[in-house]
Formats: sequence, structure tokens, C-alpha cells
Amino acid sequence: MKFDPRTKLIMVFSLSTLAVFVIDIYLLLVVLLISIVVSNYFKENWDFLKRTKKFITLLIGIVLIQSIFSPAGEILLSINNFTILTTGGLAKGIRVILRMLIIIISATIMTGSSPREIIQALIQWKVPYEIAFMVSLSIRFIPILGEEAKDAFTAIQLRGVEIDKLNLTKRIKIYSYMFMPVLSGVIHRAKELSTSLEARAFRAYPDRSSYIKLELARKDYLIMFVSTLFTISILGIYIIMG
Amino acid sequence: MSIVIKTEGLTFSYSEQEHNILDNLSMEVKKGEILAILGLSGSGKSTLCYCLSGIIPHVYSGKLSGEVRIDGHSTQEMDMTMIATKLGIVFQNPETQLFFPMVESELAFGPENLCIDRDEIKKRIDLTLDLLNIKEKRNEKTGHLSGGQKQLIALASVLTLKPKILIFDEVMSQIDEKGKNAIKDIILQLKKEGKTVIMVSHNLDNIDIADRIMTLKNGRLKRFEESL
Amino acid sequence: MKKAYRDNEAFIEIKDLTFSYKKSPVILNNVSISFYKSEITAIIGPNGSGKTTLGKLMSGILSSEQGSVFLEGTNIKGITLGNIGKKVGYLFQQPERQLFNPTVKEEIGFAHLFMGEPKDKVDKKVSKIIEELSLQGLENSSPYKISRGERQRVALAAILINEPSFLILDEPTTGLDMIKKDKLSEILKNLQQQNIGMVIISHDKSFIKSNADRTLEVSGGEINEV
Repeated sequence: MKFDPRTKLIMVFSLSTLAVFVIDIYLLLVVLLISIVVSNYFKENWDFLKRTKKFITLLIGIVLIQSIFSPAGEILLSINNFTILTTGGLAKGIRVILRMLIIIISATIMTGSSPREIIQALIQWKVPYEIAFMVSLSIRFIPILGEEAKDAFTAIQLRGVEIDKLNLTKRIKIYSYMFMPVLSGVIHRAKELSTSLEARAFRAYPDRSSYIKLELARKDYLIMFVSTLFTISILGIYIIMG
Repeated sequence: MSIVIKTEGLTFSYSEQEHNILDNLSMEVKKGEILAILGLSGSGKSTLCYCLSGIIPHVYSGKLSGEVRIDGHSTQEMDMTMIATKLGIVFQNPETQLFFPMVESELAFGPENLCIDRDEIKKRIDLTLDLLNIKEKRNEKTGHLSGGQKQLIALASVLTLKPKILIFDEVMSQIDEKGKNAIKDIILQLKKEGKTVIMVSHNLDNIDIADRIMTLKNGRLKRFEESL
Repeated sequence: MKKAYRDNEAFIEIKDLTFSYKKSPVILNNVSISFYKSEITAIIGPNGSGKTTLGKLMSGILSSEQGSVFLEGTNIKGITLGNIGKKVGYLFQQPERQLFNPTVKEEIGFAHLFMGEPKDKVDKKVSKIIEELSLQGLENSSPYKISRGERQRVALAAILINEPSFLILDEPTTGLDMIKKDKLSEILKNLQQQNIGMVIISHDKSFIKSNADRTLEVSGGEINEV
């Protein structure tokens, strides 16, 4: 079943709103579970999860740092009087992780829609076309930017610069050299892009027509309604219960 | 035959430079012909393309004198939108001519800018894909295409603006043999459709389909005589 | 004589190499091939066939889990890029990606100065190379504000200061007109005489015809002699 990108945006928005406002760990877990189920229904694939593997160490790091700097509750682990893990700190860390996971996983709901559809969704929500278009254009060029930076980094090493043997200051200096080719690439591309945009009558008139048009079906309204209601009720309960 | 492009005393220099990259250049392009313009790097080929397509003076500025007339109208008096419906230009790098991940959205972009209605856009997309014989590419992601195919999509997305004149600025330089042949076939096809084609190149390899060859040297065009 | 040299000393040797990018089909399928210092080898093939990938594998920029690449008999995986660069020079298709300095002169000498070589020694090398690649007069220009052909020569000069014994050139004729191509041919012939081996990745038929001693075609995951 195909859903309107706007419906998906509402879902993402609802889930991430909950992720930000909910404090209770168990409830956060429930929200995460919902995100996984929903996103599993809408997703194209789970490849991105492989990439998030790399972040696991980072996440554990976050838990530890949270824990060390905001001790609370009972001490779980300490070395020489230096408190490392407390129940309160652990809870805080877990909360951060759950929130990040919810936001990341719910965002993948959007991967099923093409960027053109997402732009269209934003436009039909009265976001100016230029802004929506520019955002999607810059997203398209992220991989090329990455490739350029990679080539530059390789090239500088092939010049005989042994990055591993450098001390920190020299290493930072080397990284600063890499700005030059990357920046020049960006400027060059921007120039070419703007020329070809003009040649294709971009911004010819204040208005433009649209080949695709999104129309909300009954199921879209239903899902939007349910997600909004769900989010508002949970937040409502939260506020009432303090 | 009628003249679709005419320049008179076209002289141009970029603001940071002293010398005239185009110097009192006069030329005429006849309707329905394929004109090839040969020139070494730095001879001003791209600058000439920019002048013919109104990009100079509308996008890039510099010191411009003389005139370029498309269908009798001076490019200085028309805006880019009006020019874009008369004349389409395809550039060297396919990467910076594609703005969307999907072929179909790419082709729709130009007509959308002109506020053309949905049915007409669909008709134009169908026709263009048909003409270039790439119907099966309609819903493909442009990122998965080869350089030659990307260049074809760039051309297709210009064709949906229905220009009568097409300029190809070094379009084959980054493309393999197969891609070059495909583009050449299309150019011949466009000629059959009554379009006027100007192709610019720095070598002789790809201009065998031209009806007429000129060389650009020292800011002026001359008839081609065996070498540059 | 050339043949005898070839038989025993491959400069770069690829053995049973298989390579694919994530999620994509296999680009090179169990290929084995040797490259020799004594000759200019051309690698041809359609866009996307894996020519550049092969070049990047040969120079250790990319590596594969399956199969190996040997540089003068040593597995390239064990050599750092910094050390590979002293033996193999790699010219990218876009020379802009390997230029980092505000002037041509700084560009050519910068890595050596950075690694602590004395300035007078580096300067000497730089002037020698500037002359060799006829870059005189451009010493203080920005590498980004000169013509494409000149920019490519600057990138080449910055590679040659390392005195590599082998060069890999990725599509070196892109954007060069006939005269600039002849100039490049001349430079390459000169380098070959200095006993520098070369691989030219290109789809420029006429350039390959007049410059390469041997031509390999990459297609459908295989490499074949043409």
C-alpha cells in the first residue's frame, strides 16, 4: 500500500515528538517498539542499520559520560572512590540512547518516498519551492562530496605524507589542506548547476506547475488522525500526571 | 533557408581579463543544419555557447558588445525563460545537469517551471522518451545510469522545453564509444525533426555528422580547412 | 629484450582478485594480471566497467578481501599509502582533487617540506620538475586558475617529485584538445625513457593507439589482452 509522504512526515513527527518529551524509560521502549513496527511496514530495507553498527561504541560512550557527570541514585560501580556508574546515571544514558534510536528509526519511514514526492509534500504544505528544491539538491550531492574528500585524502597520503606518523597539530594542518580541493569542487559545481538551472527556465515565473500531485486518501487521513491523537493523548496524560 | 541564429560584431571579454575572448564575431546558422564549431581549449568555445544561449549576459556578465539574434530577437531583449523555449543547451558534465534522482522528475522540471499543465507535460515526456528511444528509463534512478545515458537524460530534459535550436557544448568528452554513437544518432534524428543543432568540440573525432564545420580561433570563426 | 625483462619482473601483480562495491554486482571477477615497468599499458572499457576501480586497486587506494595485489613482490595491504606514493604515482581523472596549495610552486614541494626535508633541497627539485613539465612562468599562479592541461601537469609534477617508478593515469586526456594531447604524449614518452612504467586508463582510442605498448580491456568483470 502506498501512503502519501505527508502522512509519513506526520508519523515521523509524532514519534520524534514523543521521543523528546517522554521521560519514562518503559514508555520510551514502547515508543521505540512502535517505531520499529511502523518503520518495518514502510521501510524499503534495513541496510542503514548496518551503518549504525559503527555508532554502538559511540552510544556506549554517551551512556558512560552521562553516567559519570550526572551521578544519582545508588552507586553501581566505582573505582577508588570515583563513581563510574549510578542507577540514575544509567537511566539517563539509556534514555538518550532510546531517544536517538526512535528518531533514527522513525526517520527511515521516509525512505519509501522519492525525494521528488517529499519536495512535493513540503510544497503542498506551503514551503516555498526554492527552499524544498535546494534542500533536495544538496542531499543529492552529499555522496559526491564524500567521494571528493576521500580522493583528496588519498591523494595527500600518496604524496608521501604518512598520516599515522604525524602528531596532532600536523595532522590537523593536513586536514585543513583538504579544504582547498573540496571547496573548489563545491564552488565549481555550484557554478555549473546554476548555469544549467537557468537554461532550464528555473524560476521563470513566480509560480510553477507540478507534474506530480499528491492527494490524500482516506487511509492517509486515518493514519494522520491516529498518530496525532496517540501523540497528543500520551503528552496530555504526561502533563496531567505531572 | 531561413536563418535562426545570427550574430553581428559579437565581442566579449570577462571582467577580470583584458583581451577579447570573442572578437567581432559574425555568424549565421541556418534552420535544420548541423553546424560543428571546432576550437582548442581556451579558444572561447564555451563563451560562444554562453552568448548564443543568452547565459551571457543574463547569468554571467562581462564586457559584451554586438548582438546575438535568435529568430530575429536579440538575446539582450529576451529573458532566459523566453530563450529557453527557443534554444536548449546541453553541457559537458552530465552530473551538474541532473537535479533529481528520478528520470521522470528530471524531464518534468523544465515544463513545470514554465507553468505548463500536467497533461501537456505528460505528453512531452512520452514524446521525448520515445524520440530518444529510452522509454524503459522513465522510472529509473539517474544515479544508476552510465555517463552516456546521463547525458541522454540531460538532453531529454532540455527537449521537453521544446526548443527548436540545440547547442551541445563538448557533450561527448566524458563518454565512451557506445555513448558517443548513441548521441550522434540522436543528433541526426533531431535534424530529421527539423531542429537546428550546433555542436562544439575540441577534436575532429565526433563531428563527422556535421553539415558544416567552422573553427574558432583568435575570437573569430573561420571555415574549417583540414586542421586547427 | 623487452620480453625477457617482462618474464621475470612484474612491478604490480594482481592475483585472483575479486572486487565489488557494497550492494553492487561484481566489478572484477577473479582476475590475475601483471604490469611491467618497461611498458605503457592501456586499460580500456566502457564507462562503469571498472577501469578506475582497477587503477585504484593496483595502487592500494582500494583493497579487496578476495585476492591480492603485489607491489614489487610485497603485498600492497601491508604498505601505507604514504610509502606506496613513493613508488606509484596516481593521477586522478579530476586533477583538482589532488591540489591543495595556493600556488603551483608550493603545490609541487609541499609534501616534502611537510615531512621535514630541507627547503633548499626541495626548491632545487621543484625547479627541475617545473622545467621538465614546462610549467615555467606559472610558479606563482594558483593551480585552480590555470587551464585544465596546465593543472594536470601541476598534479603530475607534484607526483613526480616523489620519483615514483610507476604511474597510473586515470583518463588523462579528458578535456584536452589535440595540441594538449600531443604535449601529454611527449611528456609520457620522456618519462618512459626515464624508466618509469605506466598504466593509462582511457577510452581515447587514438591516444592509446599512439602511446600504449599493450592494451587490456576490462569488461564484464574480466580483463583481456586486446
